[in-house]
Amino acid sequence: MQNVLTQKSPSLGVVIPHYICGALFFVVLCFLILFSSDAFIGHYFHPKLLAITHIAALGWGTMIILGALYQLLPVILEVPLYSERLAKVTFITFTTGVICLAWAFWNFYVSIHIQVAAILLLLSFSLLVVNIVLTVNKAPKWTTEADFIVTSSVWLIFTGLLGALMAFNFTYPLLNKSHLLFLKIHAHMGIAGWFILLIMGVGSKLIPMFLLSHNLNTKKLTIAYYLVNIGLICFSADIFFREENAFLKLYALLIAAGILFFMSFIYEAYKKRVRKQLDIGLKHSFMAFLFFLLPILLGIIMSFKPSLNDKFMLQIYLVYGTSIFFGFISSLILGQTFKTLPFIMWMHRNSKVAGKQKTLLPKDLYSPKLVKAQYVVYVIALPTLVIGILLSMPVIIKIGAMLLLVTAILYTINVFKIVVPNFKPTNK
Amino acid sequence: MENSIGSEITEVEIYDALKTVIDPELGVNIIDLGLVYKIEYSEEKGIEINVTLSTKGCPMADVIMDDIQTTLTENFPGIKLNVQLVWEPTWTSDFITPAGKAELE
Repeated sequence: MQNVLTQKSPSLGVVIPHYICGALFFVVLCFLILFSSDAFIGHYFHPKLLAITHIAALGWGTMIILGALYQLLPVILEVPLYSERLAKVTFITFTTGVICLAWAFWNFYVSIHIQVAAILLLLSFSLLVVNIVLTVNKAPKWTTEADFIVTSSVWLIFTGLLGALMAFNFTYPLLNKSHLLFLKIHAHMGIAGWFILLIMGVGSKLIPMFLLSHNLNTKKLTIAYYLVNIGLICFSADIFFREENAFLKLYALLIAAGILFFMSFIYEAYKKRVRKQLDIGLKHSFMAFLFFLLPILLGIIMSFKPSLNDKFMLQIYLVYGTSIFFGFISSLILGQTFKTLPFIMWMHRNSKVAGKQKTLLPKDLYSPKLVKAQYVVYVIALPTLVIGILLSMPVIIKIGAMLLLVTAILYTINVFKIVVPNFKPTNK
Repeated sequence: MENSIGSEITEVEIYDALKTVIDPELGVNIIDLGLVYKIEYSEEKGIEINVTLSTKGCPMADVIMDDIQTTLTENFPGIKLNVQLVWEPTWTSDFITPAGKAELE
């Protein structure tokens, strides 16, 4: 065949381990929440909470996002991934780093254990950035999506660098200000800089593609890009160099406005969609955007420093973090997994016989019943968990965590159903 | 769309064959999605197909192109094939047939 665009999607060995590992981390994460509900009542600088947060952010969120990113970079940038070997090495150092970090935080081993973890993670982020930048470099043209992806990976490096500095600071006093101050920057660089910018970049390409939406106003994305970055740079620099909180409201509003511009772009894609019926994967994704409104609102409220009692403010901080990781990011992953993972498996397994015989479609590789059950349980789990944390009620937190665990198990079963070669297609 | 009918192969036959090629993500055939821009047949040049995709960088590109090739080879053995992926004009949802739209809704 002549003149055919070759996609050169990555091999399964690059993508699949991320999904398997991410799903297993999600199950472990839910177990840990279930058995440490007391930690959710009190200060966020708690060893168990730090372990849970890093498993959520790295072992679950980043792990799956990396798997998806390796799969989607060729789609978004129209070039193959620069190096699969580098991606595999990154996976090994990253997974080892996450396990070491979680272990170190859980037991509060803040000397050599946490330092090794920090170095491994920083190394992984650096390797990832090299791979992303060199892939983008090969792209036929620089796109808005490339802006988001490259910038988010730079933020990831800064997040890791500050995290490593804090890890070493436990033993060697390198930072001359309060740890909590740096934690605030570290968390927001990770959330807004890495997760949100990356999701914006990838989502702005994928969601319209899945919905068959065209003629969208991409200026909204450019505005979103600048608002989030300016807000985040000013926020980080002000706290890092001046310990200054005077303009916190302004930075929060800039970042929130940026996110809202992105959400407006997604809403436009939704309104202009040709594909009227949303499958369960897309419903989960739109639920994620709905859940995202809560942390945006809480972020703005916190920046105004309302005169609430300290105890309640701490619970609000926890709800803020929980609603980002277990609301927005988790819901997006829980949905988008079924829009991405089955396709790469299907391409590698079934595409060779496409046209020669009747084959299964990608959506036949997983159980839609399990995804629906996962969706229903999750939609109950998240508000339960959030309410439990807000009201400082361990029993409600436990119920929420248990439901979240059911969600994680259903999700993991489906992931294995997709990736295990001798799968049995579901009877529908 | 430009069409010409050869002495051995008819436009309808090529259409019918291509209607069995399904976009795996959307579950709709490529004819009803309006992805096929040109079908031509001549004894000299064989079957010439111009096809596009709904999005540049569509992850299903290789699969769809392979499927077209295989389907045409099976249905019209021994006939020369020339399948081109084109991006002009840019595909829009206006190209979807009413039947395709009904399937998507």
